[in-house]
Amino acid sequence: MIQRMKATGVTRLLFAAALSCLLFTSSARAQDQDWFHLETSSGASRLRIAVADFKPQSPTVSTYKQTFDTTLFNDLSSAGLFDIVSKDMIPQSTPGFPAEINLAQWSAAPSSAAMVAFGNINVQGTRLVVSGFLDDAKNLQYPQIFAKQYNEEASDDSARQIAHRFADEIIFRLGGGVAGIAETKIYYVKIIGPNKEIFEMDYDGANQHAITHLGTVSLSPRVSPDNSRIAFSTLGRDGFQLKMYSLLLNRVIAFNSAGGTNLSPAWSPSGQQLAFSSSRTGDPEIWISDPQGNIAHKITSFRGPDVSPTWNPKTGAQIAWISGRSGLPQLYTMDADGSGVQRLTDGGYATSPSWSPNGQFITFAWDRKYGPGAPGGQDIYIMEVASKRWIQLTHDGGRCDFPSWSPDGRHIVYANSPDGKADHTKIMSMLADGTQKKALTGSGADMPNWSWK
Amino acid sequence: MSTYTTTPDEQPDRYGSGLAGAIALHALVAAILIGAAYLTHTHTEHWGENASSVGAIQASMVSAIPLPTKVPPVKDSVLAPDTVSQAPAPPPKEAALPPPKPTDVLIKAKTPDKPITKVAPVPTVAPPKHPQPTPDTPKANSGESATQLPQSISQVKNGTATATVQDRTFGNRYAWYVQQVSRKVAQNWYTQEADPRSSQGKGVTIVFDIESDGTPANIRLETHSGSPTLDTSAMHALQRVDGFGPLPSGNHITVEYTFDYRQQ
Repeated sequence: MIQRMKATGVTRLLFAAALSCLLFTSSARAQDQDWFHLETSSGASRLRIAVADFKPQSPTVSTYKQTFDTTLFNDLSSAGLFDIVSKDMIPQSTPGFPAEINLAQWSAAPSSAAMVAFGNINVQGTRLVVSGFLDDAKNLQYPQIFAKQYNEEASDDSARQIAHRFADEIIFRLGGGVAGIAETKIYYVKIIGPNKEIFEMDYDGANQHAITHLGTVSLSPRVSPDNSRIAFSTLGRDGFQLKMYSLLLNRVIAFNSAGGTNLSPAWSPSGQQLAFSSSRTGDPEIWISDPQGNIAHKITSFRGPDVSPTWNPKTGAQIAWISGRSGLPQLYTMDADGSGVQRLTDGGYATSPSWSPNGQFITFAWDRKYGPGAPGGQDIYIMEVASKRWIQLTHDGGRCDFPSWSPDGRHIVYANSPDGKADHTKIMSMLADGTQKKALTGSGADMPNWSWK
Repeated sequence: MSTYTTTPDEQPDRYGSGLAGAIALHALVAAILIGAAYLTHTHTEHWGENASSVGAIQASMVSAIPLPTKVPPVKDSVLAPDTVSQAPAPPPKEAALPPPKPTDVLIKAKTPDKPITKVAPVPTVAPPKHPQPTPDTPKANSGESATQLPQSISQVKNGTATATVQDRTFGNRYAWYVQQVSRKVAQNWYTQEADPRSSQGKGVTIVFDIESDGTPANIRLETHSGSPTLDTSAMHALQRVDGFGPLPSGNHITVEYTFDYRQQ
């Protein structure tokens, strides 16, 4: 009995270690090639789009224009939807208005664009005025798809915001009705000396700034579906307790705390419920409460830790979480009342699941061959919930953890530590098929969470 | 070889005392039965032997018995009318016709075949060629003669996917939307769901509406391919799509979508 309790304690310690990101090192090991192919696209051709440099209407606009052009190009190329024409291949002319564009020139080789985004940028007094157009280069009779005008306070930041908005508009029209993510935010943990604070940045890594200044260790930020609050876990006098931060009031607001270690909050898609892991009754179990921390009730009841819940964002009726009831932590799903428990992973060491917005997939970090001397390392995987088929998205890039799905379901943000050291962890984003990996932050950033919209 | 030794019945029969004992026992049992019958016998009355009214019932005649009063019949009773409907009369018997006489039927006498006389073929005069009148509306203008070309074709891994919008002006004006629909469905068509052997070279056509908010509705199989797995894979492709984005104009369009399976 004592031995068993000891073993549970050790497992719990391992969990705490994993969750607080005090990760032990894992050497780079031979990659495991045994994985199934789960096809997300049957090779349908991508839309080829050309982005013209916007035409400056006044000489003072050049710095904004530079920001705008770069941001728009990056937004469209990272959307995962388009085959974007390189700037070297587009025609030399800079059309500013629909009357000035010669679409035949754009649809011909070498640019061979199907769509052209162009427009003009101007500073009128203190306002930055941008007119953007999207034309169908193959439809000479009715070329225009839409035209938009944006009018903001003239600043570098608003030039970037306008570019994001224009890019989102293009992605929404051409991407099949899924809203773009150029205006979404990513919340994450920044390691500042011994402390960890909650930070916020744009989806492309720009505009990084602190949200909390608590001077302690704060973990696992989770933003509410309406972008009004952030729930996170903070180390205080009573151990790890959940806290709630209002992004509207810019301060910590009340959240009912209880004893034990409280970790990994997760918002239900309605925003009316919060699932989290709490050890207030001794064993870490999944609890559900309202956003004020009241009417908490336990929905798991098994020996062994239960942590990292995540809701099915499509239905709000299911929760995926990590349970150690059978030894090493595994990925499970259950209904939101705790019934219908299903195990998804068949072994290894699985952590930090995130459910895709369409409810079809779960991404999670998995060390498939866990143990001393085992091949492979901790990598990001996607599993199709219905069929339990999975693919591996990261290979040989060092330790990867904390994947979080973007609201358009086409991107995943995750934390990566190339050498396994906790303070070398940086935040990366990639397309959900594992391509276009790029770093969003420098080292010292961890536990990203993509906002819901 | 084994030897059998027969054991002769050496002892003489001694049944004299046994026989005497058996007779004595039988006699004793018979004596007990008779004695018991005599001792336990009591005289009881036989049924009906000494009764006061022997074998008769008294009956007195009355003028009336309290029968239930007769209820007048319900006239409008549908289920069981009291008026008895008249049974239909049997059909009148048809008067039997007298059998036909053998002379009634006329039999043609055989006549010998006429010899065929050969007639020289008369050359028929070709009718004069009239100029055919042209119809008022050429079919090409009304769109009846030619099959409509698909407005969007996208190449996928195992075959092609073509989309046609029934509303022509929409298809011309918003070609980008039709292409977008085509691309989105093609992306959601997992060709490995179709059995390659039975689906090879076949095509299935699915017709669906797109509502103004971009959601597909009324998804229905228009033409079966003959391969059930291909039909299902095409239906699944549509069912995976949550929306195509709001329509640029109008409140709905109808799309005809053909999935052609071709293994490369």
